[in-house]
Amino acid sequence: MKIVGVAACTVGIAHTYIAQEKLENAGKKAGHEIHIETQGTIGTENELTQQQIAEADIVILATDVKIAGRERFDGKRIIQVTTEIAVKSPNKLIEKAAEVVSQKN
Amino acid sequence: MEVKNIVDINTIKTNMRAKSKEEAIQELAEVLLENEYIKDIEEFKKDIYAREAVGQTGIGNYIAIPHGKSNSVEKIGVAIGITQEEIAWETLDGKGVKGIILFAVGNDDGAQSHLKLLSLFARKLGNDEVIEKMLQSKNAEDVKEALCS
Repeated sequence: MKIVGVAACTVGIAHTYIAQEKLENAGKKAGHEIHIETQGTIGTENELTQQQIAEADIVILATDVKIAGRERFDGKRIIQVTTEIAVKSPNKLIEKAAEVVSQKN
Repeated sequence: MEVKNIVDINTIKTNMRAKSKEEAIQELAEVLLENEYIKDIEEFKKDIYAREAVGQTGIGNYIAIPHGKSNSVEKIGVAIGITQEEIAWETLDGKGVKGIILFAVGNDDGAQSHLKLLSLFARKLGNDEVIEKMLQSKNAEDVKEALCS
């Protein structure tokens, strides 16, 4: 499965990046391809490419604030959670994503 | 520039005296003041508590990351404290904390390279193996090694 996502927290210096690390580790551990863009104090990093988004089976938005470029995911399956959920239960979130994708097919 | 450039051995304490969240923030803020990361401890703490009021900074795995942007910050950095006993904290997994990382970040955006380093540092905190190693550290060198290897 291919996953893309965005992490963005209120202050933009800590939870954003912890969520990114946890989601990417959990995704890879479960055998998925995963790319998480971060929108923090330093701006957007690891920006998703159009191709990554087009190929993604599902989008995980771990965000506490309005993000830039949400329209890029229009028409995609989206799981929307807070950064806290991504930090607390990354493995469950990835399982949930797999579940949603398998229901679609 | 690497993560080790932002982890200062002088702002790591493995022998924390604090028994409560308030004492821990005070103790680590004093370390930041002594090492000239911040200039005003009361103003800094006010901004830290403003962030505490918004949501939990205990991220689970016995780690808390109090942080906030403050005009009292002179240079970007982190103070790291390790306690022997668990301290009560609002955490995502309901446990207490034994590792406290207090972030010092200013309101101006003029330090992009340091903010970048700080983001790389924050990622380390999302890694369970790094955290486990850090919490077992006996001295500041071990903490730095755990976070920067």
